[in-house]
Amino acid sequence: MKKGFALVLICLLLLTACSSNSGSKNSGNTAADTGKTENTTATEPAQAKEITIWAWDPAFNIAALEVAKAEYAKTNPDVKINIVEYAQADIIQKLNTGLNSGTTKGLPNIVLIEDYRSQSFLQSYKDSFYDLSSSIKGTDFADYKSGPTSLDGKQYGIPFDSGVTGLYLRTDYLEQAGYKLADLQDIDWKQYIEIGKAVKEKTGKALITLDPNDLGLIRVMIQSAGEWYLKEDGKTPNIAGNAPLKEAFETYKELTESNVAKVHADWSQFVAALNSGDVASVPTGNWITPSITAEASQSGKWGIAPLPKLTVNKSVHASNLGGSSWYVMNVDGKETAADFMAKTFGSNVEMYQKLLTDIGVIGTFKAAAGGEAYSQANEFFSGQKIVSDFAAWTEQIPSVNYGINTYAIEDILIVEMQNYLNGKDIDSVLSDAQAQAESQIK
Amino acid sequence: MHQTNSKLRFRTKSVLTGWSFVLLAVILIFVFYFYPMLQALILSFQTGTGSNLTFTGFDNYSRLLSDKTFIVSVKNTFIYLLVQVPLMIILALFISVLLNDSKLRFKGFFRTAIFLPCVTSLVAYSVVFKYLFSGNGLVNTMLLKLHLVSAPIEWITDPFWAKITIIIAITWRWTGYNMIFYLSALQNIDHSIYEAAKIDGASSTRQFFGITVPLLKPIILFTSITSTIGTLQLFDEVMNITKGGPGNATQTISQYIYNLSFKYAADFGYAATVSYSIVIMIALLSVIQFKVAGDKNG
Repeated sequence: MKKGFALVLICLLLLTACSSNSGSKNSGNTAADTGKTENTTATEPAQAKEITIWAWDPAFNIAALEVAKAEYAKTNPDVKINIVEYAQADIIQKLNTGLNSGTTKGLPNIVLIEDYRSQSFLQSYKDSFYDLSSSIKGTDFADYKSGPTSLDGKQYGIPFDSGVTGLYLRTDYLEQAGYKLADLQDIDWKQYIEIGKAVKEKTGKALITLDPNDLGLIRVMIQSAGEWYLKEDGKTPNIAGNAPLKEAFETYKELTESNVAKVHADWSQFVAALNSGDVASVPTGNWITPSITAEASQSGKWGIAPLPKLTVNKSVHASNLGGSSWYVMNVDGKETAADFMAKTFGSNVEMYQKLLTDIGVIGTFKAAAGGEAYSQANEFFSGQKIVSDFAAWTEQIPSVNYGINTYAIEDILIVEMQNYLNGKDIDSVLSDAQAQAESQIK
Repeated sequence: MHQTNSKLRFRTKSVLTGWSFVLLAVILIFVFYFYPMLQALILSFQTGTGSNLTFTGFDNYSRLLSDKTFIVSVKNTFIYLLVQVPLMIILALFISVLLNDSKLRFKGFFRTAIFLPCVTSLVAYSVVFKYLFSGNGLVNTMLLKLHLVSAPIEWITDPFWAKITIIIAITWRWTGYNMIFYLSALQNIDHSIYEAAKIDGASSTRQFFGITVPLLKPIILFTSITSTIGTLQLFDEVMNITKGGPGNATQTISQYIYNLSFKYAADFGYAATVSYSIVIMIALLSVIQFKVAGDKNG
C-alpha cells in the first residue's frame, strides 16, 4: 500500500510540475525568455559559432543568402551559417506556434518575413525580435520600407527585396496592334484597357491574367496613390470613401468585363500563362523577371513600361507588390546574427551588385543603386536597362502603413469583389466591406 | 470489529492496486487530452494577437454569431455534409453489396482498387485533383474531346463548380473506407436468411431493403457519425484544391480556424472559439443521429 501511495504522490507531483510550468508560459513568457537569454549571454562569449536562417524561394531568397554567407565567411570564417528553406506558409506557422508557446527553442536566428505581415509579428510578439537600431540605419534603405520594418522608432528589420512593380509587356503583340513601348510610358489604367482591346482584336491574346482569389493588383493600384486598406494609424479600416480603392475596383471590373482578362487559379498556372505567350502584359513585382526570362525562346519579345496609374490625383507610376525583409530573433546568437546582417545586406554595396548580376535581386539599399550592375542592359528585354528603371521607380513608391490586417481585409474584399462583379452597387460593396472589417478587426 | 477492519484495509488495498495499474494511462489522458482541451476553452475567452492576450469574457462567442465569414464557412461545411455524406454512404453500400456477391470474380482486385484511395496521402491526392480539374486539366480536356461541353468548365474558379470539385474529391477518397465496414458487416449476415427470402420469392431489391439495410443499421449509424465528424473537420482537400476560394465559396470551418491562426494576424483566442463551435456541432449532430437511427443500443 505504501508503494501505491508513493506512486500516486509521484504522479501528482509530475502533473503539477507539468501544469505549473505551462501556466507560467502563458502569463509572462517573454519576460522569462529574455531573462533566460540574458543569463546565458552573460556567461558565454558574445559571438555564437552557429546561426540558423529561415527563408523561402530557393531561386531568389535562398540564393541571395548563399551569396551573403560566402561574403561573410571571408571575414568570419569560424561562424557556421545554416540556411533552411521552408515554404512561406510554413515559416509563418512555425513562427506563430513557436513564439506563442513561449519557448524559443527551435526558432531560427534570422527569419525572412513578408512586408505585409511583418507588423503583425512585431506587434504580436514584442521583445521576440532584436532591435537592430545600432547595427543598421533605416534611412539607408528605400523610404517606403521603413513602415513595415520598424516599430516605436526602433529598426527591427533589414529591408531586402523591393517588390517594385512594372508593366511587363509583349512588345511583339503590341506592335501587331499598332503600339510601341514608348506609347505606354505615361498611361492610366483606362488607356491600358483600351490598348488591351486593340491587342485582343489584332492578336487574339488576352491582355492580363487574373486570380479571383488574389487582389494583388488592387493592392498595387491603391499603394500607387498612397492609400491602403487601413488608415495611416494602421488600425482603422479605410474602405468606404477610399477613392483610389473605388477606382481600383472599377478598373478591375472593367478588365474582366471588356473581355481582355484571362483567369488563373494558382502560381504555376500564372507562370504558364506568361511563358506560353497567352497574355500580352503582366503588371507585377520585379521578382517575376526570373520566371519570364526562364522561357528563353521569348528573348527580345518583352519590354517593361512604368506601371499605369489611377486617375485620382496622387497616383504615381510606381508601386510595390510583396517584398520582404530580414528579422533577427531575440534568442541566443542574436549578436552574431545582427553582425552577419549588418556586414552583408546592411552595408555591402559590392555584394548587391553580385546579387543583381547572379540572381536578379533588386534590393532596397540606396547606395547599391549607384553600382555598375544597376545600369547594365538586359538582352532578354531588347537591351533595356531594366534595373536602373526599377531602381528609379523604387524611389517613387508611396509609403503606406500596411498595419497587421492586410490578408484579413483582403479576404473580405475578395468576397465583395465577386458580389460587385455580379452586379452589386460599388458604394454598397465598399460600405459593406467597411462594416465587416470594422466588426472583425479589434 | 477486528475482522471488519482488516476487510476494509483489504478493500482499500485492492482499490489502490487497481488504480495504480491504470494510473499512468489516466495521467497521460489528463495531460495530453483534457489539459489542452481546458487550455483551449480558457483561450476561447481571450482576445488579442499573438501573445498579447486579454480576458474578454464572452466577446468571442458573441462575435461568432455576427461573423459573416464564419456563417458562410458553416453553411459550406453543411452543404458538403448534406450532399456528400448521404451520397457516399449510399455509394459505399451499393458497391459493398456488389462486391459481396459470391459469383463475382477478381473480388480481391476490385476491393483493393476501391479501398486504395484511402491509403493515399490527403495532400498528394488533393494536389492531383487540383491539376485534374484545372482549366486545361485532364477532366476538361476529356469533356471537350467527348463533346459533352462546349467550353472548359471552371472547376476551381467558379463558386458552384468548386464545391462540386471538393465533393467529388472527398467522395473518391472516403467511399472505399466506408465500403470496408459494410463488407465486413455483410460477411457476418447469415447466408441462410437470404436463402429463406429467396424461397419466399423476395426479389433482390426486396432482399436489399428488407434484410441487408436493417441488419447493417448499426454500421450505417457508425459510418454516418464518423463521416459527419470527418466532414465537419474537413481541411486538407479545401486547403490544397481551392484554398477556400473563389472568395470564400468553398471555405470550411477548419480552414477558417487556420486562416484566423496563421493567415491573418494570429488571433488564437477567436480561433479557439471557432474550434469549440465545431465541438458543439459534432456533439449535437451525434446525439440527433443516435436518436434518429439508433435502436436500444444507442
